[in-house]
Amino acid sequence: MSQTIAHSGAETHAGTAHHHHELSFFNKYIWSEDHKTIAIQYLFASLFFLLIGGLLAMGVRYQLAFSGQPIPLIGSLLPRWLVTDAGAIQPQGYNGLVTMHATVMVFLVVMPLLVGVFGNFLIPLKIGAPDMAFPFFNALSFWLFFASGIILLSSFFVPTGFPAAGWTSYAPLSANGAFNGSQAGQSLWCVGIFINGLASIAGAVNYITTIINMRAPGMKMFRLPLPVWALFITAILLLLAVPVLSAAAAMLFFDLNFGTSFFEASRYGQPLMWQHLFWFFGHPEVYILILPAMGLVSEMLAVFSRKPIFGYKAMVYAMAAIGVLGFVVWGHHMFVSGMNLMLSSAFSFSTMLIAVPSAIKTFNWLGTVWGGSIRFTTAMCFALAFVSMFVIGGLSGIYMASTPVDLFIHHTYFIVAHIHYVLFGGSLFGIFGAIYFWYPKMFGHMMNEFWGKVHFVLSFMFFNLTFFPMHNLGLNGMPRRIADPSLYDFLKSQQPLQIFVSLSAFGLGLSTLIFFVNFFYSMFKGPKAPRNPWNSTTLEWTLPSPPGHGNFPVTPTVYNGPYEYSVPGMEQDFLPQNQPAPETARLAVH
Amino acid sequence: MSSRPSILARCGLVLAVLLAGLGTCWADPRTSNLWWMPENASEGGVYIDQLMYFILFLTGVVFVITQIVYIFFIVKYRARKGVPATYSHGNNRLEIIWTAIPTAIFIGLWGYSNHLWWDVLHSTPPANSLQVGVAAYQFGFSFQYPGADDKLGKAEASFVSNDNMFGNDPSDPDAKDNFTSSVLEIPVNRPVHIRLDSKDVIHGFYIPQFRIYQDMVPGRMIDWVWFTPTKIGKFQLACSQLCGSGHYNMKADIEVVSEADFEKWYQEKVKAVQPQPGAKLTSVTETKDQ
Repeated sequence: MSQTIAHSGAETHAGTAHHHHELSFFNKYIWSEDHKTIAIQYLFASLFFLLIGGLLAMGVRYQLAFSGQPIPLIGSLLPRWLVTDAGAIQPQGYNGLVTMHATVMVFLVVMPLLVGVFGNFLIPLKIGAPDMAFPFFNALSFWLFFASGIILLSSFFVPTGFPAAGWTSYAPLSANGAFNGSQAGQSLWCVGIFINGLASIAGAVNYITTIINMRAPGMKMFRLPLPVWALFITAILLLLAVPVLSAAAAMLFFDLNFGTSFFEASRYGQPLMWQHLFWFFGHPEVYILILPAMGLVSEMLAVFSRKPIFGYKAMVYAMAAIGVLGFVVWGHHMFVSGMNLMLSSAFSFSTMLIAVPSAIKTFNWLGTVWGGSIRFTTAMCFALAFVSMFVIGGLSGIYMASTPVDLFIHHTYFIVAHIHYVLFGGSLFGIFGAIYFWYPKMFGHMMNEFWGKVHFVLSFMFFNLTFFPMHNLGLNGMPRRIADPSLYDFLKSQQPLQIFVSLSAFGLGLSTLIFFVNFFYSMFKGPKAPRNPWNSTTLEWTLPSPPGHGNFPVTPTVYNGPYEYSVPGMEQDFLPQNQPAPETARLAVH
Repeated sequence: MSSRPSILARCGLVLAVLLAGLGTCWADPRTSNLWWMPENASEGGVYIDQLMYFILFLTGVVFVITQIVYIFFIVKYRARKGVPATYSHGNNRLEIIWTAIPTAIFIGLWGYSNHLWWDVLHSTPPANSLQVGVAAYQFGFSFQYPGADDKLGKAEASFVSNDNMFGNDPSDPDAKDNFTSSVLEIPVNRPVHIRLDSKDVIHGFYIPQFRIYQDMVPGRMIDWVWFTPTKIGKFQLACSQLCGSGHYNMKADIEVVSEADFEKWYQEKVKAVQPQPGAKLTSVTETKDQ
């Protein structure tokens, strides 16, 4: 096996060596087939979308706290589907904000940041490959993704505005323009999601092929760094789950525009079929959004604890278990949807089981920190916070997994709190950490650590102040997606808490701006990054920052596992993967 | 190390700011519910609350223990000169322990949850249940009662239309004397068996005080939901499934009254229906503004 890998690795390298001539501007920055440039394209695009998604969230929080009051400054400039003449958000506009905030954050921010940015950037560099297996496909994937973002956001400019059926687009509301009030917006949503799916599939095929075929000699599967394992499993999930959503989006488009009746009950379609198709994609999607972050965080924890990751194989098996079980838990979104009650029992069981691998991972992270020599860089702060926030998000999931309790808290703010603890406190904190960590390798400059810490402390604080009280709002019975909770007798009393949450959310939004300034300022003014600023073991740190086109001048040979830190009997406290262990090193077999 | 604030001081600062924030929020005078669940007002809700508190206890203990251990590790194992990190790749015995224990707990939790789900919450409704049909539309609810014969009659989703919102079977005589109401009027301490349908899109039947939620799906007649209210009072039914531009205000009043008051209200409604032979099936047509 390793023989073939060695052969193919060397051959691929020889193949690309011929192409190292100067590229034109267009081929270097626009239609680039270099995985590193594509990763950076993904990064810029998804950070732009993060800004948009964040603004939409601010709109949502403004409405919930100050319902009926005109938006200061920009209220009168907004289109009429969104605001009244006075500039206050309308209920239908609010539905659009909620829908697009979630759609943007899931499909255009977190997914591309994890899979598009770090998948593209890290996989070839970490496995010792010159590029992806299908560079053309890779470039295509980015531009499809970018197009899908533009299509989704273009609904802002149609007269009926944003799609307004929720990011879950439950039929038949989504399947009939007369019901949802935004035929054009909803149609654009279908097209955007369909194209976004094509981009994901192209990426997934690339990652799987690259990881299987293009590892450097000696890079056995169990020597892969954990981010690569996580992205490998994620790519498999993408490949199996995304086509289902794409197909469903196409069917929904037909229902909306051509009078078919897949989901429209008044034409004898099946509304619940949409939910099954959507969540068959949607639940693996949840893991697509967290597994890569888990991989990235595992690596940062090991590097900055100066320790091997605790239970490397257990981590890999846990992720594989999540990958498999992730396909049989989708029905836990549907306990009260009207599907057969027996199915709820079964899905509740599989959901309880899938909590186990998450618990295993958490314990192993604790084990990694134990006995370490922890360096509190900004990246490490975010990684450490990730674990705590993920614990909260994971534990709050148990409430919903229990069918009777779900009867009470289903579709309340409790679930909104839960998803944000996993997706923001989890995935996005992991992403922030990873950006601080790999920024030097991407751009050749260091980010400012002081402002990084400021960003971390403020985000951590405002994040918890924003999302923790949402558990309480949910327990008090506040349903999701209600434009004006003050219209309900039983929700009136919690208005002070609503305002508190909104003010915290504005703080969270502002603290993210610090990150943006640091990000762009450091690109030009940050100190020059050395090859290996964090004394890391994996292959990307053996290259200059940033690495040149084609990555490795000589295909590296891998001798060690990915996290050989603080090996007894060694002068320095890390053993790079491409260096044979010195005679004196007492490596442990694991 | 000495010239910069220690990690402990920094953690303390963060904690202080957090607590100050929460404290300010708390100081605001509270009139009623802000932090916690509304008081339970149904029989089944008692069990749900018990389970909820059990999970709260379980997750609370796990959370506190893992966080204490975690923060202790973070502080204790911060980088110090001359103290190298421990070289360890893990421990298989620990892996087995922390796989087995959560598995056992989760399966146990599922077992009890499932028992509650089947044997209590979704057991066969008692024979003395009051039957009520609930129809949802963009954007409101309507309720149908069995009338003088105490029989709601057969209904099917395929019969649901603008004129027959509850999907009553036109050939079933039991439905002829049914009457409708825009308020869900129910007697205290008597089981209420509801039959849910929707005319257009999916709506949600959600009453937090009763700890009950069920989606109302067009094309489906859902007849397994029943509950027993245990407190007299006024409540609100909120649609909790996004259903369009009017969703934010789609609600209905619920009045739980004594058995005697209910009987009085019911007889008045029945009388209003009686003298109209040959009237439409849903004789008291809702004229609620749409």
